[in-house]
Amino acid sequence: MRGSVTGHLILKDWRMNRPLLVLSIAAGAIGLAVVQWGTEPAAVVGSVWFFIALIMVGTMLPLGGIVNERKKQNLAFVMSLPISSMQYTTSKLVSSTGMFLVPWVTLVISAVLLIQVRHTFPHGGIPMLLILAMMPFVGFSLITAAALIGESEGWGIAANVACSSSYGLVWYFLSRIPTLMVNAKGPVAVWNSTVVDVLCVELGLVALLLGLTYFIQSRKRDFI
Amino acid sequence: MNGGSFVISQSDKRPMYLQIMEQIKQRIVVGDWTEGQPIPSIRQMAVDLSVSVITVKRAYLELEREGVIVTQQGKGSRVAPSAGLGARLREQELQQHLEQATRIAAQLGIQPTQLEDRLREAGDRISERENA
Amino acid sequence: MTDYAVEMSGVTKSYRYFSLDNVHLKVAEGQIMGLIGANGAGKSTTIRILMGLVHQDSGDVRVLGHRMPAEQVEAKWDIGFASEDMRLYDSMSVGWHMSFIQSIYESWDDKYAQVLLKRFGLRAEQKIKGLSHGQRVKATLLLVLARKPKLLVLDEPTTGLDPVARHEILRELTNVMADEGRSILFSSHNTQDVEQISDQITFIDRGSIIDSMDKEMYLDRWRRLRLEVPAGVELPALPGIIDVKQDGRLAVATANAFEPDLANAYENTGARVQRIETMTLEEIFVANVEHSREEVEACEVR
Repeated sequence: MRGSVTGHLILKDWRMNRPLLVLSIAAGAIGLAVVQWGTEPAAVVGSVWFFIALIMVGTMLPLGGIVNERKKQNLAFVMSLPISSMQYTTSKLVSSTGMFLVPWVTLVISAVLLIQVRHTFPHGGIPMLLILAMMPFVGFSLITAAALIGESEGWGIAANVACSSSYGLVWYFLSRIPTLMVNAKGPVAVWNSTVVDVLCVELGLVALLLGLTYFIQSRKRDFI
Repeated sequence: MNGGSFVISQSDKRPMYLQIMEQIKQRIVVGDWTEGQPIPSIRQMAVDLSVSVITVKRAYLELEREGVIVTQQGKGSRVAPSAGLGARLREQELQQHLEQATRIAAQLGIQPTQLEDRLREAGDRISERENA
Repeated sequence: MTDYAVEMSGVTKSYRYFSLDNVHLKVAEGQIMGLIGANGAGKSTTIRILMGLVHQDSGDVRVLGHRMPAEQVEAKWDIGFASEDMRLYDSMSVGWHMSFIQSIYESWDDKYAQVLLKRFGLRAEQKIKGLSHGQRVKATLLLVLARKPKLLVLDEPTTGLDPVARHEILRELTNVMADEGRSILFSSHNTQDVEQISDQITFIDRGSIIDSMDKEMYLDRWRRLRLEVPAGVELPALPGIIDVKQDGRLAVATANAFEPDLANAYENTGARVQRIETMTLEEIFVANVEHSREEVEACEVR
């Protein structure tokens, strides 16, 4: 046995999704560059681009990598390898999350650094940035969960639609929490308890969704 | 030495094992395979012909029963070392042809005595062709 | 003691509109077993249960000595699986797939893989999406053959292939038999292929195994008797005859346990046996299925 089969599968996923990762980092970087123009319209357009890049990678990874593998009947090929269905689930969760985090971490850190180094955005906006950036992460977890558990394109798309349509709603509710917004335009990043709570909830959701996926998959008797 | 030049005919309605037996006998009759000579193992023959092992096994078993080949445990199979095997197989072939001719003649209503005349005529025709 | 590459006993699996009922199947080591059945008969389900991809509801499954699906990982190291509804990655090349499999299995024989590439007329740089159906099937089989697994499980390996490609595949499959430790189980509804290379044949219909036998025995036991029935003679029901079709003075009797005595028995009643014909595996299969369905209906009526 040359190395673990699960490891080989993860490497394979990375190899096959490299273009997507590069594209999403490029798109996010362009968005950040546009923001640096300084004008308010530029800031809006750039920010939207930035978030779309994150949302896009969070959607394409599960839909392209998981749903497609089943739809294009590659799953039988993978399952003919010496792995169990749980090892497959693990490889998918690890590779998808890892691949999502690469552009996500890169872009978020770049955005934070840009805010600190340049003066186009007040530093008070950094906590909000993080809260907003976590939303595609939660979305990614939901779509990944739906793709693995639901086993069909329909479920993946349904999850995707649910996410896309709720971003706006969530933002609406968050923006009405005074303790969140009060420091957003200030010169200093304030990490008050509300901010920390919201971030914890978001992270908790990610962990819950991915963990639940693992648990539900382990209960299944028919894999294909 | 392999069975690669054997060919199983799809349009031949006879079972595959009979075809294999016949082709092996043919080899012996024409002298390509001589008495006592080793022949491909059952598995090797199956691989060469792209047919199932069980069919070749059956052919070899029948051939052994007829005394055409002998198989020794662990040593493989060989053409039976009995003298005159080739001639004996030719004899069998002749017998089969004669019986078939008789059967067809009977269907046409031709009696064996009339068949004798026809046989002589056929012999004459063949000599004519050879002398021409 | 015979070693079995595959042993299934009492296997049952129920789906909403279909169920696999009490399947018994044994493939001895060194043999080729052909599984014949109509579409929807249960071939693919049986094969999936065998591969551990689907959990049976009840029954025992052992493949290469491993219990399935519990020990499927160990088993799959020595099994080469290819199914008709399986696809390789469109965007990747044949060569990439070969490297991928090679990186996982130590038993990969690269020399043989190169030979197969040439024999199958494939090129390593070709992307899967650019291949024709026949080339895809050959690429999939190449990946499975070059590993030289102890057991090959193939679901419809020659379906949709042109005659030349079929011939190439059959030749490679029989080449596997040179090693008496290796076995093959393949399903097909191409009875000609099954007839040519199988040692054992199993018929499956509507979720049940209706027959499983040595191929030569099948071909020996099934015969068609063409009879001439004079007026006033009634054909008796004879053991071993499962069907008689009579139209006026001519009748065709199908036997599934033929003995020369059967012909005599008919002659004794006054009927004349014109011809005794052997049957191709396809004819045997169709007759067997029709007979078994009639029997099932008869049971249900009672």
